[in-house]
Amino acid sequence: MNRVDLKIVLLGNAMVGKTSLMQRYVHDSFNGNRPYQNTIGTVFAAKQVQVNGVSLVMGIWDTAGSEKYDAMTRTYYRGAKAAIVCYDITKFSTFQRAKHWVRELRSIEENCKVYLCATKKDLCDEGFVSDDPDLQNTVEKYARGTQTKLFITSSKTGENVDKLFDEIVQDFVSNPENLQQVEEAIVLSRKPEKRYCCTVI
Amino acid sequence: MEDVLNDVVSSEDLKKFESVYHEQLRASHVTQKAQFEYAWCLVRSKYSADIRKGILLLEDLYNNYDTEKRDCLYYLAIGNARIKEYSKALSYVRSFLQIEPANVQVQQLETLIKKKMEKEGLVGMAVAGGVIIGIASILGLGIAMAKKN
Repeated sequence: MNRVDLKIVLLGNAMVGKTSLMQRYVHDSFNGNRPYQNTIGTVFAAKQVQVNGVSLVMGIWDTAGSEKYDAMTRTYYRGAKAAIVCYDITKFSTFQRAKHWVRELRSIEENCKVYLCATKKDLCDEGFVSDDPDLQNTVEKYARGTQTKLFITSSKTGENVDKLFDEIVQDFVSNPENLQQVEEAIVLSRKPEKRYCCTVI
Repeated sequence: MEDVLNDVVSSEDLKKFESVYHEQLRASHVTQKAQFEYAWCLVRSKYSADIRKGILLLEDLYNNYDTEKRDCLYYLAIGNARIKEYSKALSYVRSFLQIEPANVQVQQLETLIKKKMEKEGLVGMAVAGGVIIGIASILGLGIAMAKKN
């Protein structure tokens, strides 16, 4: 499987839960006992999805959140059709960084659709209070103002995770240009039929 | 499927990070960041000469700085695996796992390296098999011709 039709990059501060989000979506699992491991560089995962009778290959690039990787992460924007910019629902500073990514993506990759994703919703549900009580309002206002779709997710419970990725897929296929590219890629990836020739001497 | 051992750096990115590194080299002050970024590009190059250079830069960082040791180990393993220095690559993986035994990313890299070795082992055997068949058929032809005569 070499083909990737829909390239998605995951961006966001270190420890907001990008790897967990990918793990939940691709493998439908969450390991709460595992100690935090910050991602080195980038990790790639592929998932095949069926939509409107077409089978697409989604490639997800999970990037390192620590700032030392910023310049390197930027090299992965290229060709991305969608970017999921994550922030931790309990930490205001992670939303500040998220805004920076949204701005940057809009200026560098015009064809990349940006999705804002709040992570760790389960903490809110358990009564954990954000370090900025007004964070939710601020984010909603920002999302409306910049016309960015916002998803409030929990990789622990799985809430809204599929919804986020489904929306990305739907937005992708709603563009006929994208669909045409997928169909061309499918034709190209098919192995040519073998032909047998007989020559009679 | 694309994986960390096949991910190739674009020449554009390589040039970009190379020029930053060289500029600093000329000014005789290379930052840890520039060296790491350049090395990170080099170990993902198509050319083994680049990969070797990247490995040298990473070894230098590993020996001279206390920070980012885990990142260096990870890319040292990748670089060595890419130039088929598998035993070295696995030794870097092992030293990483000694510090962080549960690291999923590095466990996956270990599996990937072992798979690649296995695949190449089989390819090697297939090539040897082909050679044997070739020799056998030449011999067979020789015998057949000798009999004819």
